[in-house]
Amino acid sequence: MEGASYARTPRIKIRELKDDYLKFELRDTDASMANALRRVMIAEVPTIAIDLVEIEFHLRVKCMTDQTLDVTSKDLYSSDHTVVPVDFTDPAGLDSSENRGIIIVKLRRGQELRLRAIARKGIGKDHAKWSPAATVTFMYEPEIHINEDLMETLTLEEKREWVESSPTRVFDIDPVTQQVMVVDPEGYTYDEEVIKKAESMGKPGLVEISAKQDAFIFTVESTGAVKSSQLLLNAIEVLKQKLDAVRLSEDTVEADDQFGELGAHMRGG
Amino acid sequence: MFSVGKQLPYPVVGDAGIDKQFLAAPIKSAVDKFQLLPEFLKVRGLVKQHLDSFNYFVKTEIKKIVRANDRIVASKHPNIYLRFKDVRIGEPSIMVDGSPEKITPQTCRLSDLTSLINKQGYSLDCAVKLYSVATWKYAAPILVNVEYIQGSPGQMTRVEKNDVVIGRMPIMLRSCCCVLYGKDEAELAKLGECPLDPGGYFVIKGTEKVLLIQEQLSKNRIIIDTDKKGNITASVTSSTEAIKSKTVVVMENEKIWLLLNQFPKKVPIMVVMKAMGMESDQEVVQMVGRDPRYSSLLLPSIEECAKSGVYTKEQALEYLESKVKKSMFITDSSEKEGRAYSVLRDVFLANVPVHQNNFRPKCIYVAVMMRRMMDAILNKDTMDDKDLFKTMISEAKMWIDKFLEKNNKTSRFDFSHVIPKPLLAVQWSACDNIEYISRDTITNGLERTLSSGNFDIKRFKMHRKGMTQVLTRLSFIGTMGHMTRVSPQFEKSRKVSGPRALQPSQWGMLCPCDTPEGEGCGLVKNLALMTHVTTDEEEGPLISLCYYLGVEDLELLSGEELHTPFSFLVIFNGLILGKHRRPQRFATSMRKLRRAGKIGEFVSIYVNEKQRCIYLASDGGRVCRPLVIADKGISRVKEHHMKELTDGVRTFDDFLRDGLIEYLDVNEENNALIALYEGDATAETTHIEIEPFTILGCAMGKQAMGNIAYNQLCRKDTLLYLLVYPQRPLLTTRTIELVGYDKLGAGQNATVAVMSYSGYDIEDAIVMNKSSLDRGFGRCIVMKKKAVTIQKYDNNTSDRILRPDRTADNAGHMQILDEDGLAAPGEIIRPNDIYINKQSPINTRTQIIGSAANLPDSAYRPSREKFSGPEGESCVVDRVILCSDKNNMMCINFLFRHTRRPELGDKFSSRHGQKGVCGTIVQQEDFPFSERGICPDLIMNPHGFPSRMTVGKMIELLGGKAGVSCGRFHYGSAFGERSGHADKVETISETLVKHGFSYSGKDFIYSGPLGVLY
Repeated sequence: MEGASYARTPRIKIRELKDDYLKFELRDTDASMANALRRVMIAEVPTIAIDLVEIEFHLRVKCMTDQTLDVTSKDLYSSDHTVVPVDFTDPAGLDSSENRGIIIVKLRRGQELRLRAIARKGIGKDHAKWSPAATVTFMYEPEIHINEDLMETLTLEEKREWVESSPTRVFDIDPVTQQVMVVDPEGYTYDEEVIKKAESMGKPGLVEISAKQDAFIFTVESTGAVKSSQLLLNAIEVLKQKLDAVRLSEDTVEADDQFGELGAHMRGG
Repeated sequence: MFSVGKQLPYPVVGDAGIDKQFLAAPIKSAVDKFQLLPEFLKVRGLVKQHLDSFNYFVKTEIKKIVRANDRIVASKHPNIYLRFKDVRIGEPSIMVDGSPEKITPQTCRLSDLTSLINKQGYSLDCAVKLYSVATWKYAAPILVNVEYIQGSPGQMTRVEKNDVVIGRMPIMLRSCCCVLYGKDEAELAKLGECPLDPGGYFVIKGTEKVLLIQEQLSKNRIIIDTDKKGNITASVTSSTEAIKSKTVVVMENEKIWLLLNQFPKKVPIMVVMKAMGMESDQEVVQMVGRDPRYSSLLLPSIEECAKSGVYTKEQALEYLESKVKKSMFITDSSEKEGRAYSVLRDVFLANVPVHQNNFRPKCIYVAVMMRRMMDAILNKDTMDDKDLFKTMISEAKMWIDKFLEKNNKTSRFDFSHVIPKPLLAVQWSACDNIEYISRDTITNGLERTLSSGNFDIKRFKMHRKGMTQVLTRLSFIGTMGHMTRVSPQFEKSRKVSGPRALQPSQWGMLCPCDTPEGEGCGLVKNLALMTHVTTDEEEGPLISLCYYLGVEDLELLSGEELHTPFSFLVIFNGLILGKHRRPQRFATSMRKLRRAGKIGEFVSIYVNEKQRCIYLASDGGRVCRPLVIADKGISRVKEHHMKELTDGVRTFDDFLRDGLIEYLDVNEENNALIALYEGDATAETTHIEIEPFTILGCAMGKQAMGNIAYNQLCRKDTLLYLLVYPQRPLLTTRTIELVGYDKLGAGQNATVAVMSYSGYDIEDAIVMNKSSLDRGFGRCIVMKKKAVTIQKYDNNTSDRILRPDRTADNAGHMQILDEDGLAAPGEIIRPNDIYINKQSPINTRTQIIGSAANLPDSAYRPSREKFSGPEGESCVVDRVILCSDKNNMMCINFLFRHTRRPELGDKFSSRHGQKGVCGTIVQQEDFPFSERGICPDLIMNPHGFPSRMTVGKMIELLGGKAGVSCGRFHYGSAFGERSGHADKVETISETLVKHGFSYSGKDFIYSGPLGVLY
């Protein structure tokens, strides 16, 4: 076990990928790794956000009509064409006319606004506005074993009742064989409702559910500042840099015996 | 064939002729009466008691007061007089250069006087005109039509003048005299007013003042009690337009005595009876009641009277004359008749009128008092519990009546003092005596009283402090709560529990929950949602109606007949009218007349079997509430009525007019059997509650931060707390919607994890999520006002404001100043920054040589105002308002805005009183998260629950969660579940399960730092 834990090579399998949404499996590693990745994605992947606003009373936006004019993030013009406000419009472009960005201020007829906004690079730790992640979460992959023999002692009615006791749809009954089967193990929220239900039915051990300690299912949603796939890559890069920072320096080579395998690992061996 | 829901199934007559299903359907079905409530509040409003009282005062009472003593005659020249013919209140205005100019409440609010210039930008629709005359308050002129004699004693002419201003009356906002009366939302917005603001307060010297509802022992009613020595007393607090007195009849040493202020010592009651012409002891005994038990209790008193040798009326009066307190100023009438006689006529039981020296009603009244006392001695049950609410009438009928009465009287005295002087003078003929009417007496008197809250009426020996309060503007709901507050009659220091206890008769009238902690607990109360406080109603027609309905006149009854079995005394507003032989029939017919709208809806008819009396009341200040009438337990309000209501063809008043709903006061409730729900009604039930939750008031969030009003940013409060992103609650109540809390919310919805975390959450502390705070959770604005006056001095010098010297040493602190020497709106201001570059003359006392304007710079010393705020935090100059104060000096108001985010030690609370300070602020990545990605905004410790048993909070947690997941606002209520106005926990759980949560609301979450399941 000891040796094996260091030599593990984590694997990632991407399940779903959109610009602002990513779902992937992370296997063959432990919770510390998975959680580090989550924490870095939330707090330490840098983005650019507006940090300073100078307001002057000169014309830049002026409302000329009787209706109120919404000044949104789209009205901001950038001095660097590579830096643009986050665009929320659906690439499918169905209702782009309605999606006009984030409202900054509403102006009445005759009102005007001029402002200069300075954007800076920062990380979510300093202020949540720099966080590229709307949601980063993971779950342990559950391992569900149904005790088939015990299950067969239940009537169809009881089976149905048991299946419905789970608030999320994890189990179902095969319409043909009328056997209980697991349809969506990841729907399980570790609420143990089904276990409690089995106990109250007098059938303890009807199902055994445990969390796999080395398999995680990640869900990442990006704010739009960074694509979700890039967010993951950036996070790994940041994590790597952090690890680099604690690499042992060369002059500890002679202490090799002292650190053993760990020392070699930390030196990049 | 049948409609779904609660509607009554209508029969469908088919070929079969009879619809069996219809016949089998239950006859009674509960009608959803909730819609009546918004309708009721539309008509009455939450602060209607204030408005009603004020409207009654300006429309009726003030005319009565003036009419009561409308003639002022010069004492030396009886031909010379001044007579008030009519009085009315004009439109709110101020005098500008001698001509009236209309004003709005907002201008009065903005000015310590009147608002003027709003420096730069930030367009506020406020007046830009500099008024030369001060308006200190939102007031309207009191106009009178007068008739008076003018000219020299030799040749007199009668002059009539209309619309003479005799003073200025502060106007209650939204009353019938207010410019806001009857305005719709757009018009109100144009006047700078918040449409949700309830009104019902005054604006005086730029501050909003509320006259609190006062609780008083009911006047003109017999109250049986025990005094300190344990003696039984019967007391009556009489109050008429002319006089206020307290008469106490006490049983001491087996004898009955009278205690009255005018008699320094107690006097035997039998002597008083004799003095009132009741010379025959037998008749007294008959009046009290022929029961030997009464006679034996009365006997010692009769013996005492005989012992002192008082047998006749004259002897009795002589006896009393020796006991009476000598008055300082003796009027003509008392000299003639004897002081004792006039005391008996005018002061003793002043509420019983004496017509043509007929003392018989007073004798009977005393007899009834004695009888009640003896009842109490023989049978303790009949003792009145003073603490019982039924004997206490909330005197919301505002004291403004009283004090204005007083003020008008003083002004009358003023006339009589002022006018005779020119009469004596030779040049009388030259002057128009109308000029002598002093306007300031009334104006200043009213203003002083309202702004200080001290009501002193010497004539009534009334000294009350703290009658008015500055309206709390901490939150919108706090304001509403303040308007419904009832201030106690007892001193707060009294360590008694009796009056603090919740009385059963307070049900539905006063909120059972809303009372402060600490010294005022149980004494300071709040009105419930549907409480109405009555105003006076014309007595004359009601009295004659009683006689038509078979009340036998007191005058026609002998003492013996008074208490014959099966007959009840009829007492109207504390005055004995006579007796009735068929009390129930009389009560029923009176009630029928009331329901038919023939007599006022607030007249109460109460049959007291124990005292064998029927009490009728039409006076002001009683609290009452509407109830649905039920016949044999079946509600009169039917489904089709409610449908008409929702369709808008029927209003709340129609319900009253059609006799479906009626108002019951505390006394009459004793004759009713009220079912809480329609389903609970039995055959004996007479009334059904409209909605059970209306027994509550609107207590929530008194000091919660949120919104004040729609015009909150155009106001000028000295301190104002606002929430930057207020939200309406996910779990609402019907009350919240009724009072407008959902429109002007106070608070935010938070994702809460109830768990222990980090140890910084012990003792109710709260752990907060830093990212949530970054995103705007709990962010607030604090606005502070600083006022600077440009003083003018006696020697014609005055302060001056200078252009800042950009080269001076302290130029760094003067950066935010404009060229005019005042801070510019929008500038960031730091501690020690100067916001006004003011200079004062060194010499302000002695006269200076030359013109004050040409004073050299050396004659001035700097008196700059420095900003003192918290170090390291930056505030913003929000607005600068220039106006002139009442001494016509320029006053500059600076409003500083400070945006704050929650920090360690800030206090937060849920709506269930679960308060706690912020113990630590934690990064989001260290916060627990669920596998759905939900991360709480704050964590509270579960130990707060078991001991406090805040079940409501548990339900709110569930309901809120269900609300977010299904996208519908959920309802909660202490009562509503049965009437279908709240979501049951079961249905909430179902919603949760439907959206993939546990029915219990529990979630499994992962540790933020470790990533493992908790």
